[in-house]
Amino acid sequence: MFIGRDLDRVDALAKVLGTAGFAHDLRMEGMLFACVVRSTKPHALLRDVDVSGAYAVPGVLRVVSHKDIPGQNTFGALRKDQPFLAESRVRYVGEPILVVIGENEAVAREGAARVRIDYGEIDAVLEPDATGKGRQIYDTGSLMAYKKVRKGDVEKGSAASDVVVAHTFRTTWIDHAFLETEAGIGYVDEGGRIVIKSSTQNIHYKRVEISRLLAIPEERIRVVQATTGGGFGGKLDVTCEGFLALAVHLLKRPVFMRYTREESFLSNTKRHPLSIDYKTGARKDGTLTAVKVDITGDTGPYASYGDAVCLRVAVHATGPYEVPNVWADCKLLYTNNPVSGAMRGFGVPQLAFAHESQLDEVAEALGMDPIDIRIRNGLKRGSVTATGQVLSASAGFVETLKKIEPFWRARQKTKKGSGFGLGCMYYGIGNTGVANPANALVELGEEGRVILHTGACEIGQGSDTALLQIALETLGVARSDVLLDRGDTDTSKDAGSSSASRQTYISGKAVQEAALGLRAFLDEAGYYHRGRALGDIYRATKDKGRLLFEGFFNPPASGLDEATGQGIPYATYAFASHMTEVEVEEATGACRVKQVHAAHDVGKSINPKAIRGQICGGVAMGVGLALMEEFIPGKTASFDAYYIPTSLDMPRVEVFLVEDEEPTGPFGAKGVGEPALIPQAASVVNAVTDAVGVHVYELPCHVERLKGLIESKKTTK
Amino acid sequence: MLPPFSYIAVHSKQEALTSLASLAGAALLAGGTDLLVRMKKGETHRYVIDLTGAAELSGVKDRGGTLRIGSGMTHARIGAHPAIAKTCGGLAAACSAVGSPQVRNMGTLGGNLVNASPAADSIAPLLVHNAVVTLESIDGMRSEKLERFITGPYRTTIGKHEILTSVEADTLAGYNEGYRRVAKRAGWAISRLSLAWALNDADGVFKDVRIAVGSCTPVPFRPREAEAFLAGKGRERPVVEEAVKMVLDEIRRISGMRPSFAYKLPVVRDLLLSVLGGDSCS
Ligand SMILES: Cc1cc2nc3c(=O)[nH]c(=O)nc-3n(C[C@H](O)[C@H](O)[C@H](O)COP(=O)(O)OP(=O)(O)OC[C@H]3O[C@@H](n4cnc5c(N)ncnc54)[C@H](O)[C@@H]3O)c2cc1C
Repeated sequence: MFIGRDLDRVDALAKVLGTAGFAHDLRMEGMLFACVVRSTKPHALLRDVDVSGAYAVPGVLRVVSHKDIPGQNTFGALRKDQPFLAESRVRYVGEPILVVIGENEAVAREGAARVRIDYGEIDAVLEPDATGKGRQIYDTGSLMAYKKVRKGDVEKGSAASDVVVAHTFRTTWIDHAFLETEAGIGYVDEGGRIVIKSSTQNIHYKRVEISRLLAIPEERIRVVQATTGGGFGGKLDVTCEGFLALAVHLLKRPVFMRYTREESFLSNTKRHPLSIDYKTGARKDGTLTAVKVDITGDTGPYASYGDAVCLRVAVHATGPYEVPNVWADCKLLYTNNPVSGAMRGFGVPQLAFAHESQLDEVAEALGMDPIDIRIRNGLKRGSVTATGQVLSASAGFVETLKKIEPFWRARQKTKKGSGFGLGCMYYGIGNTGVANPANALVELGEEGRVILHTGACEIGQGSDTALLQIALETLGVARSDVLLDRGDTDTSKDAGSSSASRQTYISGKAVQEAALGLRAFLDEAGYYHRGRALGDIYRATKDKGRLLFEGFFNPPASGLDEATGQGIPYATYAFASHMTEVEVEEATGACRVKQVHAAHDVGKSINPKAIRGQICGGVAMGVGLALMEEFIPGKTASFDAYYIPTSLDMPRVEVFLVEDEEPTGPFGAKGVGEPALIPQAASVVNAVTDAVGVHVYELPCHVERLKGLIESKKTTK
Repeated sequence: MLPPFSYIAVHSKQEALTSLASLAGAALLAGGTDLLVRMKKGETHRYVIDLTGAAELSGVKDRGGTLRIGSGMTHARIGAHPAIAKTCGGLAAACSAVGSPQVRNMGTLGGNLVNASPAADSIAPLLVHNAVVTLESIDGMRSEKLERFITGPYRTTIGKHEILTSVEADTLAGYNEGYRRVAKRAGWAISRLSLAWALNDADGVFKDVRIAVGSCTPVPFRPREAEAFLAGKGRERPVVEEAVKMVLDEIRRISGMRPSFAYKLPVVRDLLLSVLGGDSCS
């Protein structure tokens, strides 16, 4: 039995021994190095680009500009609007302009430093402007995306409320801070095809973009995922892959790239800064009557995953509660700030900060315990969500609250400055209201070895191990019988991106389907009943061609109505509740997170230890989001000034699992990758309020902001 | 990437002094935790003289009334040294708070003082101990009060051919001393503000009060007026409040008003109120 077991991660040994081939470790005989020349201006025309200085550096072989691009100079996961290399205009600091290719890294970087660019600066748009009256970067206006959800009548709902709480919440840019910066290698193989190996969250998508860029068919391109040192959404967009492909295409030699940390900070997408006007109405007994949420966000100059964030935050605006009247608006606006894109949770962690703070204030106004108001309003089987979806199964939210309830009721402040807070969330698994299928292949190969071919990228979240466990359980074979072949466009079919907490659920189901195909075959061949060995079965049938079984799964969801956002955006949802204990020192504003109780409805736990790992990581990231992480454009350059939590900032974490099985999921499983993070910052903030009586409406709540709040509370008293 | 340089590992203080005097364009490297960071940003030196082999720069000596601490002592060794913990506890606490274990294993006291960052953790506690630094060159030796040695942010009186060889600090038996720092996270973070203190009081009366504030003014400093004011006074709330006010005034006098003071001054106030007032004021 392999489901629910702490199987060792398949990548653990190689990573612990240091033998895993991360993208940064890749080397080839005779390889060149490429590096990017980036804009130093937020908004400018490129009046003149002088590359003679670069060519004067011995060892610089080629300086590549947009003119060298044979195909389309645009990419984008959802809209093809972002140039690989700027043509006549740059729109953010860090925008790529040229690629300098040299014999080695020092030479390439030296060459890049010697390029002279004459910028004709244009006033930059640095504040999102929802009025549409201010300066715009595009003739078509500043509004990049606008999504709405309408259910019931919020005005009527508010009128029927005994208490209404309204506040504005703000969050800022967050960097993914993956430990491995963007990196990869490219070369031409014996067949003359272009091969790219990189640190990535999606291989088939990258192949499409390279095909468009070079105007060559996808079959002429192979993309392989190197062992990847973290993604968190920051390796969904094309990073170094396009530049590598271009360099290899032009020079026909192996080319390597790796971004410095500074380059990564400068160039990568960020979590969307959101401004959230939130109004909540409730009756005396705590029943929620109406929620009105008006969100504006800064998306930077290009769309990236903005559309996905925009829709997802509108859909998740209420949090995991049944609210009869909902009005949610989300507008993302273009600016000349960093490109905002996908980052763990697609905007929902920001929303959770708002809806959870609101709920605590409603509870306070009504004299209710925060856990009681959550239990009263929590989504459960049969509930209707903000988009009108009826939750017919796998809705274990209230059960997550019940798991932590004993600890919550027994909580005790041990000293001055200690406080407790709750944070809850629900999260739709997979992409919002669109098809997002995954394929998988299971093969009976040489000597009866079962090979699982998957295009799902392992980015540390554990998909390799989870998918393997699903295959093992379905097939009922031994661990040593199965070989995992992952992350290669040559051997796998598209599994979609490792994002939106979707791989265990969607790829997992596709793997299960494929494995069921092989299982039926093996059954017929006498493996299960007659004890025929896999090797014998293979030898008996191998002449009939490859024994390949396909699996496919596309979660049953539907598009949403444009005007009302009504529909079925996801086939299933994860639910979670976190309880956090903090200690705040009033003298300094320092907040230490002491302990977290985290309960998650994962449908079915495939690998409990891996889930615990995801939750601990999510807690760490949530502590960062709540208390310290802040990317300041033009100022934050590296980890010197961008603080992420260290082991000393980590609380103790107790994990509780709820298994309300999802009928469409593999063995009932859903996902936990993003849910692990989403409620954490919210629970920290609510604990801070409990500890020192101040309300936090802006993140991060770092020492200075918290001390400021404590001081102003003193003076208003 | 580091710019190119020639690397010289010396085996004695004398060898270090000679090399330094004879090689133009040489930089000293102790732990390298400041120097290498600067060099990676582009600072160039023809020679880098590694001091770690000069055993004379290490060690701690109790000289009766003062402790002499070798400049090559790492933060980790200072933090774990029994004699320092006993008579110079604020310094031990400060060095234990520097950076991360890796940085504490490499970074030295000498490097911390010569680099002279306004946020260097060892400075405030050493000021409280009236530290004196010893500087040597092939031409001789001189001593200077730490307070004079550091002249501004990242600036000292050190000569081109001088090595800071040791630091002498008053042992403060019978004092209640300590060190507090505030940073943006629990570890591996530069001090946003720090406070070192040593108090000698008996029967509710302050005999000697020493305070130093770090990461606030261009150079960590001792608020002498407030210290003098407290000497001989009762340890009472109004007295402490008056002294704290004097400290804040002195900070403003030195630096003018800075945006960061909206945070820092209330923190200095609250930490000092609790340090000076003890339980009576918290
Ligand atoms: C990640 C990180 C975190 C850090 N955190 C902190 C922190 O929390 N608190 C803090 O105070 N500092 C911190 N630092 C700074 C640094 O670690 C300290 O200042 C350390 O004490 C420097 O000592 P070193 O031996 O490494 O100096 P080096 O880098 O070797 O030298 C620093 C300078 O002093 C000169 N020098 C060194 N020794 C002598 C000598 N004996 N005589 C004359 N000149 C000399 C060198 O030429 C150089 O100019 C941090 C640094 C890093 C990289």
